[in-house]
Amino acid sequence: MRNLFAFIYRFRAFLLFVLLEILCVYMVVRYNTYQGAAFFNSASTYVGRVLEVQSSVTDYFRLATINSMLARDNAAMREELLRQKLAEQVDSTAELSGMLYAASDSAMAYPYILHASRVINNSIRRTNNYLTLSIGSADGIKPGMGVIAANGVVGRIKTVSEHYATVTSLLHSQMLISAKIKKDNTMGTIKWTGGDYRKAMLDYIPLHIKPVVGDTIVTSGFATVFPEGIVVGTISAVEQEPDRSFYTIEVELSVDFAQLSYVYVVESPLREERENLENNAGILPHDQ
Amino acid sequence: MQAYFPMTSKFGLTHIVQYILFVALQVLLMDSLVLYSTAFCFIYVAFLLFLPIYTNRTWILLLGFAVGFSVDIFYDTMGIHAGASVLLAYLRAPVLNLLTPRDGYDTNDTVNIHLMGWRWFLAYAFILILIHHTFVFFMEVFTLREAWFTLVKIITSTLYTTVGMLIIQLLFFSVKRANR
Repeated sequence: MRNLFAFIYRFRAFLLFVLLEILCVYMVVRYNTYQGAAFFNSASTYVGRVLEVQSSVTDYFRLATINSMLARDNAAMREELLRQKLAEQVDSTAELSGMLYAASDSAMAYPYILHASRVINNSIRRTNNYLTLSIGSADGIKPGMGVIAANGVVGRIKTVSEHYATVTSLLHSQMLISAKIKKDNTMGTIKWTGGDYRKAMLDYIPLHIKPVVGDTIVTSGFATVFPEGIVVGTISAVEQEPDRSFYTIEVELSVDFAQLSYVYVVESPLREERENLENNAGILPHDQ
Repeated sequence: MQAYFPMTSKFGLTHIVQYILFVALQVLLMDSLVLYSTAFCFIYVAFLLFLPIYTNRTWILLLGFAVGFSVDIFYDTMGIHAGASVLLAYLRAPVLNLLTPRDGYDTNDTVNIHLMGWRWFLAYAFILILIHHTFVFFMEVFTLREAWFTLVKIITSTLYTTVGMLIIQLLFFSVKRANR
């Protein structure tokens, strides 16, 4: 027994080294597949506060850009509103509402709820990029919710603490987003391949479709994370490699990740019900 | 190697201040100073490299884990920087042995470019930073896919960090302090 202790004491540095490395590798593997409450990441209270102070300083220098972005966003909203109002004037079904018309699609009755939030930490140049938002479980944010900006898809909530949340960015090597080509509803999957933060790949578009440069890519809405029809980007290159049964399509993302300052977290009140139903039916969860 | 760890107030204070300064420098400033999306500066390893030459080996492993873990928390890269820093901390003693001057280290030798000389410092910093960055970038991608791009990233980042460390040495480690 004494020899054993002597042995451990003699090689204590090496044993400690091996122990710590095993711990680190375990943390890497676990964090990659982990979703839930935040303990040790940028959403934890103290770290979040530091990042918030930092961004309140750096945001000051970008106020002009942020302002013009919000103004443009507002203009787009007003345009949409005017169009709706005109359509309403033309539409006469409102008069029938009490008599003949019955709502046939219950999904229409529960729209998505958007929570606005400031981005307090953002990375775009790493292999796996994350954002930190100054919004948390106190505001009703839960892991797995989608995150969008005014002009497109941003990512998905990974962990939450009381006042902060981390987001797996679209610019993450393991992030998959279910998308479709807007003009003909062909399903595909958006995946970021690393490198340029303005470009992603659209995969699984079969060869009988004719995608053209300039086509808009939107979310499919088949997964519960994002509403249908949120813009992802536009096709910037289409290639057909000889040994593949799918196109290799390059998509230019509509969101400028380098300029993100405000985003919206998408809450879908019916999500839980739908996921439970699909799970009970034995349908495996689709990629995001 | 002599196990020597002076737990005097001087050691404690200067190194705690250095720890906080280097982690703050890393997450607040260096995080946004990335050159051409390929060269990253992980200046926080300077904390481990600038520890006294005769620091206890178990202590330095624990300090390596702590500093790497602090950076991981801000970077959302659980375990990657901690693992790399522990590796660096473990290999620091063998590298120091390898680079022992002809007449050995003095007890009050510190990692100081004016005291130890250009060649010694550059060799010491470059080898350890290269090991650290190799670990970080390969753990990040987890595959050998696009290994060329990763290798370019490792080389450029190592040079970047080494230059950053050199600047810190020349600015803040005075000749006078070395002669004391």
